[in-house]
Amino acid sequence: MRKALTLAALMLAATSHYALAKGKLIAVSWKTFQEERWKTDEAAIKAVVEAAGDKYISTDAQNSAQKQAADIEGLIAQKPDVIIVVPYDSDAILPSIKAINDAGIKAISYDVQFEDPSALYMSFDNVGVGRLMAKTMLEKGVSKGNFAFIKGDKGDPNATFLFSGIQEVLAPSIKSGKIKVVCDTFTDGWKPNNAQKEMEQCLTANNNKVDAVISENDGMASGVVAALTAQGLAGQVPVTGQDGDKAALNRVALGTQLVSIWKDSRILGKAAGEAAVALADGTPMNKLKGVTTFKNGKHHVPMNAILLAPDPITKANLSDVINAKWVTKAEVCAGVPAGSVAACK
Amino acid sequence: MKDSKTTKASEVRGEGMLTRFLRATELDVRVLGMVGALLVIWCGFDIASGLKIPNSGLFGGSFLTPRNIWTLLVQTSSIAVMTTGMVLVIVMRQIDLSVGSMLSMVAVAGAVVQVFELGPWLGVGHPIIWIAAVATCLLLGAAVGAFNGFLTAYLQIPSFIVTLGGLIAYSGVAFLLASGVTIAPMDRTYSIIGGGVPQAWLGPTWSWLLALATCVLIVLGILNSRRQRQKFKFPLRPVWAEVFLAATGSAIVLGLTKVVNSYPWPFMLIKDYAIAHHVTIPAGVSDRNGNAICMAGGQVVRCVDGLIYYTGYAVPVLITVVVGAAMTFVASRTKFGRYVYAIGGNPEAAELAGINTRMVTVKVFALMGFLTGLSSIIASARLDAATNSLGQSNELYVIAAAVIGGTSLAGGVGTVYGAMLGALTMQSIQSGMQLLNLPAAFQNIVVGTVLVLAVFVDQFYRRRVK
Amino acid sequence: MNAPLVEMRNISVSFGGIKAVDDVSIDLYPGEVVGLLGHNGAGKSTLIKILSGAYRRDSGQIFINGSEAQISNPRDAKAYGIETIYQALALADNVDAAANLFLGRELMTPWGTLDDVAMEAEARKVMARLNPNFKRFKEPAASLSGGQRQSVAIARAILFNAKILIMDEPTAALGPHETQMVADLIQELKRQGLGIFLIDHDIHSVMQLCDRASVMKNGQLVGTVNVKDVTEDDLLGMIILGKNPEKAA
Repeated sequence: MRKALTLAALMLAATSHYALAKGKLIAVSWKTFQEERWKTDEAAIKAVVEAAGDKYISTDAQNSAQKQAADIEGLIAQKPDVIIVVPYDSDAILPSIKAINDAGIKAISYDVQFEDPSALYMSFDNVGVGRLMAKTMLEKGVSKGNFAFIKGDKGDPNATFLFSGIQEVLAPSIKSGKIKVVCDTFTDGWKPNNAQKEMEQCLTANNNKVDAVISENDGMASGVVAALTAQGLAGQVPVTGQDGDKAALNRVALGTQLVSIWKDSRILGKAAGEAAVALADGTPMNKLKGVTTFKNGKHHVPMNAILLAPDPITKANLSDVINAKWVTKAEVCAGVPAGSVAACK
Repeated sequence: MKDSKTTKASEVRGEGMLTRFLRATELDVRVLGMVGALLVIWCGFDIASGLKIPNSGLFGGSFLTPRNIWTLLVQTSSIAVMTTGMVLVIVMRQIDLSVGSMLSMVAVAGAVVQVFELGPWLGVGHPIIWIAAVATCLLLGAAVGAFNGFLTAYLQIPSFIVTLGGLIAYSGVAFLLASGVTIAPMDRTYSIIGGGVPQAWLGPTWSWLLALATCVLIVLGILNSRRQRQKFKFPLRPVWAEVFLAATGSAIVLGLTKVVNSYPWPFMLIKDYAIAHHVTIPAGVSDRNGNAICMAGGQVVRCVDGLIYYTGYAVPVLITVVVGAAMTFVASRTKFGRYVYAIGGNPEAAELAGINTRMVTVKVFALMGFLTGLSSIIASARLDAATNSLGQSNELYVIAAAVIGGTSLAGGVGTVYGAMLGALTMQSIQSGMQLLNLPAAFQNIVVGTVLVLAVFVDQFYRRRVK
Repeated sequence: MNAPLVEMRNISVSFGGIKAVDDVSIDLYPGEVVGLLGHNGAGKSTLIKILSGAYRRDSGQIFINGSEAQISNPRDAKAYGIETIYQALALADNVDAAANLFLGRELMTPWGTLDDVAMEAEARKVMARLNPNFKRFKEPAASLSGGQRQSVAIARAILFNAKILIMDEPTAALGPHETQMVADLIQELKRQGLGIFLIDHDIHSVMQLCDRASVMKNGQLVGTVNVKDVTEDDLLGMIILGKNPEKAA
């Protein structure tokens, strides 16, 4: 049967000139390579897959739901054992996931969730990222006063996941009046320059009386810090972020950003690669290492999930990212006065 | 521009005051309409923001405060610079959809030069770094623009397609140049161009001197044009109209200068500056509650009796004004500008008149690219970072600004100052809605609606005039 | 009247395999008006656009004042003193009369900027000679009447001291009064020693204005005749039947 399928795959996919006789085939449908992290994810997955003697193939949907549907059709035609999908649109992808299931292929929802009960969801705990941002703000930043929320793109479910985590932690303080929300806005396309304008207007509207800024990622944090700098408030007002951008880690060292929640793509990629290899070898989904049931998605569909814990990087543990070779010491410590940060010594 | 229309007050009788006024001053009704709409928008936002959080604005809000007007001008700069070029592109019946992606690409290239290449080599802060980065942005922009123009003019590929390709391709290049990372921070001198640091603020003295010089230029310009027309015995504008124009022009310049000169430095920056330069912080200010300067009882207070510096014009705003003046000059007083308009009016006639329309096309796109390069410097210096998403969808705002400002997509018609007013109008709406903390989705709806409405009103007016 | 001002020898051009002009030779002397006659599509406009540089010929030669001329674009033609007044009244509609008059050869100030005032002054001078009623120097060409546009187009040619003038149906869009004005103008230009090619459908005005007439049919030259030797019927015969009248052969 498998041999017949392999032959069929060879005939169907004219581009496939690999010999597929040995090893399994693991396919990935990426939504984009527009951001720096995805190449890191890809390298991690590929390394695990190839080390196990399996084959890796991939497509790039270039931020288009339509292209991704076509990509997946093409991947199915090559009869892989597992398809890892990073959905561009988590609802529009569902018919393609059904086609994967119908073809008897196992699907993994990578980083961004699509809700299909037969697929495996692998991600950092995004609600957890929001919780960590808020928690770090309360513990290491400020715990009362005027808060500004600079949220991500309104169309991205992660922006809402993040915010529900943030809300969860801050709700008691907001309720008791310890924290007052003075600005609360989504940011088109997560764009830093939009975030900068939002922050400028927020400061203008509130006469600079802003005590903390919860920015949902590092890119937007760069805009927020630029706006704060123009008012001489950078370093006075704590700012959150996530992604572990090099520039953001440098800001953490400089003291203009409080925290960058770091989701090490290599760990997620490695975990996903291992899960894919195990699934391809026939391990049942609910027997995978670290699997839990997750049903807090948009439609509350219960799914098998492997959720990894992210790592909040502050001034205190900057050496973690340097030791992990995520960034160099020179990048993190550029322009940092000698002796002010332990990791830069 | 002002003297390019006919004066025939004497030919027409029995017309209303307003018509006579417009005829005598040769002011464009549509520009007046746009200025009126802008004022209504400004006042509206000031009132609305005042209802939410009372502030020191003209109507008790936050919009018509020196701080917000100052910020608004800085926020408008990047788009306004590009829109002056887009006017010429559209007037010539072409379009440039690639400016947003081009901005990202050029900004990232400039950042790579200063942060990755020259920074480590020459040592951070070396004066050659910012000069090289600026030169890279301007030259790369002009070269890419010229390439767009070459494909359009000589290979006869419609500019819509060429620049649509550019829109897609240049964003890819922007990504590859820095493998998608955000590059920050920029060189210290370079970031002055963005207007976010005190070194980028002209201060009241220079701002006033510049304003006065501008007023003198306005008066001299009007006098010179009058003398020229007298020499050839052409019909003249009535003296009262000339006086009115000179007075209004000067009043706008001086008024705006007054506004930006009343925006004080943010308090924290004054403190930092005072400490760094050993300026004595006046007594009675720093000792109120022992807080930072100009804070009293947890409240920010006006530093009227303390140490205070005013910002004056910011560098990006000056750049924008200079670009606006230069582009108006190019459009109305040079052969090149004349040819652009002639080609837009009738490409065949222009070709038959012996104009090298292809070369003019290349030049227009190169100019657009150069301005995009300049704009990329302002945008990345202001953000103090360059990312491959920096200019994303800017092309739409630039084109919308030109169209709101009265540029016709059919070609041949459009003014630089109109387009700049269009850019200011759009940014006013966005900033005002952000001030009210309205959702971004709502802002998109309003800006889109304003675009369509502006074109409708413009068309309606033109039809009625005919 | 020794050397011809213009001599076009054995000109051919084809578009997509169809011969629009097929081995045509015509000439023009100073102070002469030569009419070009023929049906629509006979090739007369194409022939004349080769002279004005708008089209390129496939074969044949052009001589100006006896020496061979290289004309491959409108700028080349202008350098030889060839000015064209097009049927489509080729003006840029959005710029004013003065700007149209000087389009492509603007007057500049010593600082290298457009000298609009000087251009307007020159325009006023020229137009005073041609059409004294014309006053609308600062309005966009789109707002001018057909006659006004035609006088701007002719003024353009005169302003640049054209030696050879090509007029493609100069009176097609005009009323009777303006037509007469153009006719007077042609006589005046002739007296000044210009050579004029006149493309016209109206045989009557050709008989009235031209010295010689060349007739084309299906891209080929039927023949060239002295206008005073033939009747209107003879010319009609040439146009319709492609046949030369006996006495003019």
